[in-house]
Amino acid sequence: MRPAPADIERAIVGLIDARVTEEPLGVVARVSLADVVEALEALKVAGYESLVDFDGTDTGELIELTYRLRSYALDLEVYVKAPVSYGGTIASIWHEYPSALMPERETAELFGLHLAGHPNPKRLLTTDGVAPLLRKDVLIRTVEEVRDR
Amino acid sequence: MSDQCEETLGVGLLCEGQHDPGTPPAGLRRAPSGVDGLSTEHLIINMGPQHPSTHGVLRMIIEVDGEEVIASEVSVGYLHRGIEKLAEHRRYDAVGTLMDRGDYVSGIMGELAFALAAEQLMEVDVPRKAHWLRSLTSELNRLASHLVWYGTFGLDTGAMGQFLYAMREREALCDILEAITGQRMMFNYVRPGGVVADLPVGVEEKIRAFLATFPTYLGEYDQLLGGNEIFQARVKGIGVIDRDMALAFGLTGANLRAAGVDFDVRKARPYAAYPELDFEVPLGTVGDAWDRYTVRMGEMAQSARMIGQLIDGMPEGDHIAKVSKIIRPAAGEVYASVESSRGETGVHLVSDGTEHPYRMHYRGPSLYAVQALEELLPGHLLGDVVMLIGSTDVMLGEIDR
Amino acid sequence: MALDKLTGENSMLFIRSEQLFDFARRNSLWYIAFGIACCAIEGLMSASGPRFDFDRMGVFFRNSPRQADVMIVAGTVNKKMALTVKRLYDQMPEPKWVVAMGACASTGGPFREYPNVVLGVDKIIPVDVYIPGCPPRPESVQYAFIELQKKIARRTEERLAARTS
Repeated sequence: MRPAPADIERAIVGLIDARVTEEPLGVVARVSLADVVEALEALKVAGYESLVDFDGTDTGELIELTYRLRSYALDLEVYVKAPVSYGGTIASIWHEYPSALMPERETAELFGLHLAGHPNPKRLLTTDGVAPLLRKDVLIRTVEEVRDR
Repeated sequence: MSDQCEETLGVGLLCEGQHDPGTPPAGLRRAPSGVDGLSTEHLIINMGPQHPSTHGVLRMIIEVDGEEVIASEVSVGYLHRGIEKLAEHRRYDAVGTLMDRGDYVSGIMGELAFALAAEQLMEVDVPRKAHWLRSLTSELNRLASHLVWYGTFGLDTGAMGQFLYAMREREALCDILEAITGQRMMFNYVRPGGVVADLPVGVEEKIRAFLATFPTYLGEYDQLLGGNEIFQARVKGIGVIDRDMALAFGLTGANLRAAGVDFDVRKARPYAAYPELDFEVPLGTVGDAWDRYTVRMGEMAQSARMIGQLIDGMPEGDHIAKVSKIIRPAAGEVYASVESSRGETGVHLVSDGTEHPYRMHYRGPSLYAVQALEELLPGHLLGDVVMLIGSTDVMLGEIDR
Repeated sequence: MALDKLTGENSMLFIRSEQLFDFARRNSLWYIAFGIACCAIEGLMSASGPRFDFDRMGVFFRNSPRQADVMIVAGTVNKKMALTVKRLYDQMPEPKWVVAMGACASTGGPFREYPNVVLGVDKIIPVDVYIPGCPPRPESVQYAFIELQKKIARRTEERLAARTS
């Protein structure tokens, strides 16, 4: 269920550039990359105790990170979005939400980002030398390549 | 082992409410290290990716001191095949084929998650019958998936007989699903707007014949494995994932409910025909491997119950809404989740208005279960590692995607 | 022994050693329990289940590659997996056979366009039998084993022909 945007605004009050909107996706709090850890810490205090999902989207200009938080006690969900530039660095939030450990590694690897403060910042899914596959500028194989395999 | 329900009933399925996790037998306790000046050297053991009991290509790197695990690392990615990337190059009605192969033992749920996400953007009015067919195939598939888990979890703890019975029941379910969808495993049945085909003639009798025997058999299967004293000694009180740990690691599904958290997407965020169905959500108390076992066995009984209701109340009408051949949903961003056999399967879908999704993120519940394993295994005996992997019911297809 | 009834007690049977060994080999094709992806459920688990019951054909699973004759590559092989597949193949004792089960192991299947996926396991190891399907039915896997038995029988005949000519 969706919380009231005003409640989320109150929880993350004091952060610069924080913007809370209600969208088809749900209640989304947009914060800057530097504020992500602080915003998530504040939301954890507000009762959002579980990070259910974490992923990135290549918008063509930057990569948009999406954190999906859930409070089981309040039965509410909130999304936190933060932009990061290509080749940028994500600050790990595993201290607050250990469930981010592997999704962070996966996102960093598949979008070509770096991890800061992560206990095990290795590649998760692919071997060394594989391009950041989920970026839009990395293309899939063409029909010819597949046919003449 | 002075459990009351165990004395009276001796079966896990019927054993509701509290149970005492108990302490493992004294012989299994590790001797204090450094006795008489002897100390053991730590040993690093590699399990997988080819290992008969890691449920696919999971690789574990385990550091042991004697028999006790002191550190573990999970290495995944041996099945990474780009479901998310390829979805950006498939049309909306074709993404289901990829979702099937994510959690390949319960493909319908993956398809359904994507279809629900796409429908939010399409603003299509899904017919009532499609909802019911989606629920029916989901529950049939959940049974098939849980039966695979039941068979292999027994293998992980050292039992064999239940595997053959589980596969026998699964074959009956595969026949039914094949009659409905045309395939035994990779269905591609749920599409944005509805489902591909109506129920064929004669399948209703098949399902009724299955339901006539299955609930009785399920009780017997539960006695066969859960009533086994050796099995109980191996799972009770082992691998406790309590509420705090389950929430911290983002666990969902039976792993979360075993810790007593009452959250089932079918109840909390109803979709398909679930608001109209009467079912219960089995819950555990302490979150050990035994609780995860009883919760899943209880879910099987509930699924069978729901299948009966779905067959009895199957509405008339169309099975798919009028959807154009090439689907171009409105631009936007949505999230849809369903309760799959392993937990909450979510799809984060970003559309830019073209016939291909712009970005499709697939949340596999097993990914969160394996990273909890890293935390769970230390402190347990090496012999329990395989059992604990089995108890969390991980599926590598949706971990690596 | 049925043979004793036909030929009387203390009878002797003459057979070329290759014939005998190949007869034994093709009737005890033990495969390595190495399920990669979806096909493993159909090709390895249903196969050893009660309905299809491959055991009656002498097809049985072994957990160690060092005890196995056949490798069923049941699933998509990606670049991270390729090294393991090759190593497992090298660990199997001669003679050994490979069955590429399903579209992924044969050509890359539905995931062929993804750059991380190997376009068919025959890029890494030699393959004897390809099974089409996604996933193939367990009956197809049975058929593949029958074809493999025929292939081994043909090999015996070829070797005998080479000996006698």
